Amino acid sequence: MRGPGRALPLLGLILLWEVLARATAQSFVIAAPTAIAAHLATHAELLLRALGTTAWNAAQGYLWGNLAGIALALAAVSAPRAERILSILALFVFCLPLVATGPVLRVLSGPGNAPQVALAALAVYYTTFLPVLVGLRAAPQSWFELVRSHGRGPLAALWLVRLPAALPYLAAGLQIAVPAAFLGAMVGEFTGAERGLGMLTLRALRGLDLPATWAIAVIAALVSGLAFHLAGRLARWLDPAPPALLPAAPAGARPLRLAGPLADTVLALAAGGLLWAGLMELFALPDFFAKRPGDVWAFLVTDAQAGAHRARLAAALGQTLAMAGPGYLAGLALGAGLAAGLTLRPGLAGLAMPLAVALRAVPIIATAPVLIWALGRGAAGTVTVVAVMIFFPTLVACLSGIARTPRAVLDLFDSHAAPGLQRLLWAQLPAILPAFFAAARMAVPAAILAVTTAEWLATGRGIGALMAVSAATSDYAMLWSATAATGLAALAAHGAVAWAERAVLSRHAAEQVAR
Amino acid sequence: MAERRGGPSSASGITAREAAPDILLQGVTRDFGAVAALAPIDLRITGGAVTALVGPSGCGKSTLLRLLAGLIPPSRGHILVGAETPDALRRRAGLAMAFQDAALLPWRSVRGNVALGRALARRPRDPRADEALIGLVGLAGFETWRPAELSGGMRQRAAIARALAAAPELLLLDEPFGAVDELTRERLNAELPPLWETAGATVILVTHSVTEAVRLSDRVLVMTPRPARIAADIPVPLPRPRAEALAATERFAGICAAVRAALRSAEPAAGPR
Ligand SMILES: Nc1ncnc2c1ncn2[C@@H]1O[C@H](COP(=O)(O)OP(=O)(O)O)[C@@H](O)[C@H]1O
Ligand SMILES: [Mg+2]
Repeated sequence: MRGPGRALPLLGLILLWEVLARATAQSFVIAAPTAIAAHLATHAELLLRALGTTAWNAAQGYLWGNLAGIALALAAVSAPRAERILSILALFVFCLPLVATGPVLRVLSGPGNAPQVALAALAVYYTTFLPVLVGLRAAPQSWFELVRSHGRGPLAALWLVRLPAALPYLAAGLQIAVPAAFLGAMVGEFTGAERGLGMLTLRALRGLDLPATWAIAVIAALVSGLAFHLAGRLARWLDPAPPALLPAAPAGARPLRLAGPLADTVLALAAGGLLWAGLMELFALPDFFAKRPGDVWAFLVTDAQAGAHRARLAAALGQTLAMAGPGYLAGLALGAGLAAGLTLRPGLAGLAMPLAVALRAVPIIATAPVLIWALGRGAAGTVTVVAVMIFFPTLVACLSGIARTPRAVLDLFDSHAAPGLQRLLWAQLPAILPAFFAAARMAVPAAILAVTTAEWLATGRGIGALMAVSAATSDYAMLWSATAATGLAALAAHGAVAWAERAVLSRHAAEQVAR
Repeated sequence: MAERRGGPSSASGITAREAAPDILLQGVTRDFGAVAALAPIDLRITGGAVTALVGPSGCGKSTLLRLLAGLIPPSRGHILVGAETPDALRRRAGLAMAFQDAALLPWRSVRGNVALGRALARRPRDPRADEALIGLVGLAGFETWRPAELSGGMRQRAAIARALAAAPELLLLDEPFGAVDELTRERLNAELPPLWETAGATVILVTHSVTEAVRLSDRVLVMTPRPARIAADIPVPLPRPRAEALAATERFAGICAAVRAALRSAEPAAGPR
């Protein structure tokens, strides 16, 4: 569809939105497009300036985060023995809630935009690291043998085989990173910046300014979507048939054998602790806010009040997990379920895929205030934020998994005129499984991010709220403890998902586990 | 056994070298974990000659080639190419292998892949010679095509051109014509030998076609199922150049029959192994 034909559904959608907003005006939930437009028009200059700030922070974080992701992936392939430990460490840092890292970085760097940039980088590096690592390893054995057969070494293999092979994976990672960088910058601004869209969001939320909240979400979505589209153009220019992004599970973890991965995790955490303490000593950071691993240990174990500290932390973590768990499962189930359902109606899938891909470009967290507004500050709002955050990536992953069902297999089913349901269960579901699990793994840090941000912004419960209070009252021992505990919980959840993945895939899609 | 050939023609522009040294295998075995792929193999392969390896699938032909390429070490025994190990020959860019799966880099065109063979072997760029090689394997007009756009047979031919571009002393061809159609195969069987003859290279060729083995080689080695032994060593004392008409002669048919008989007696007894 081109021209007016393409704009028509959009116009209809906006009209519907307007009608809905006007009909529900009393409940004060949906801002009408006209109201949003009015707000945009009257505050154009302010919003533009804020957008400029946020976009600039996001762009810098995007650059640094992607560079870090690429460097990490290169380090991992060049030191295969350290690869798993490096991967676990990278995952652990990625699982640390941004709403906790934000205030810590704020204290470290003072005013300015360093924390926003750092948070944008933190939100980005892992989703670049994983696909690039896969890409660097994706080349078949014979390509390396070709290089070796002519007497050339690992450097030639890196330059001639690994790097070009990783390029399309990098392009895909760079695209995913666009909304993530935007999101990181905005969360950075939530945690005490003086400028930017995130700061305006906070102000709008506090002032109960409905059109402003919506206007900011719309701007963030549009700009990030545009940048996402441009990054996609770049990706297609690099490789007309980009690979489906299926970051593999941490390599080498055998199904139903825990000892290896567990030992690696312990090693990785020890390395992380050393790094943590070492960096603080290196930069001579003051004990007052830069708590060492030993301080956290004392706070939670040996201190006189340790019991009380633990109880407070455990209670908050319990509340958070009670929100994150259902939201996580709901998001996964809805995403996979909708993908499966759409497969039975291929026409609909063709419509849903572009929509889902487009929505993946939206920094979902920007819509969190709107969602919380709509559903209230209780459990429903938080669970929904988590579920929405997970739903779209899962849907996209599962749809592309289905699209990768081997043509020959489908032809076989079709040649027997197999009914759609049988085709789905026997041919397409096995193709979904790897994509589903990859999405489920990546959804763990996403859920942590969503739930802590919602708690920080709005609900006043759970670990996110505990972090907000600790940061505000300079209770840094609690802030560091809460951060570490959340990271560990996320790592454990991720490990459980990876374990389930290995167990299921080794039975249903053995070829996916080989690498 | 095989007569040495120093061909006078130099159509390809590759200059003749000193006669290539013999390859010597002594008690060579190779295991993969508990699987023994090669039984102890003792063998002398004549330098500058064409040796064909035939045998059932999975018997260890590719493994033997990779040993000769110095890509994997033998589990026991040793291999010498003249005075040096295959690994040393590999390191000084003295060999080239056309892999069973072609192993073309998908982001490079046919031309780019052929140029890669030259570059990997640390030879100076020579687009004209690359072009000639591409034409020789029948890919003229496809220079800018990517591997994904080529048929299986075309990919294998590009891989052969790439191996030739390295101007190797030892050329290892792993089922190079497996996916090539019958007519093209005939043409390549006629056009490739002059090329490696002038280069004076030692050629070791794995093939499933008995007639092709006899047509191209000076000697056919028949291998048994895993763990592979050399079950038969059949010389091919036919004059060169070998025209297509040769295949219709009684002598040719006799050698083919001998190879087939050796293959049959090397087959395992019926039933699962
Ligand atoms: N890298 C490897 N690891 C384990 N087994 C291998 C490996 N390479 C080859 N093999 C085994 O060695 C045997 C011979 O393989 P190969 O040399 O490829 O046979 P051919 O080329 O004659 O078909 C096969 O049983 C194969 O499974
Ligand atoms: Mg083989």
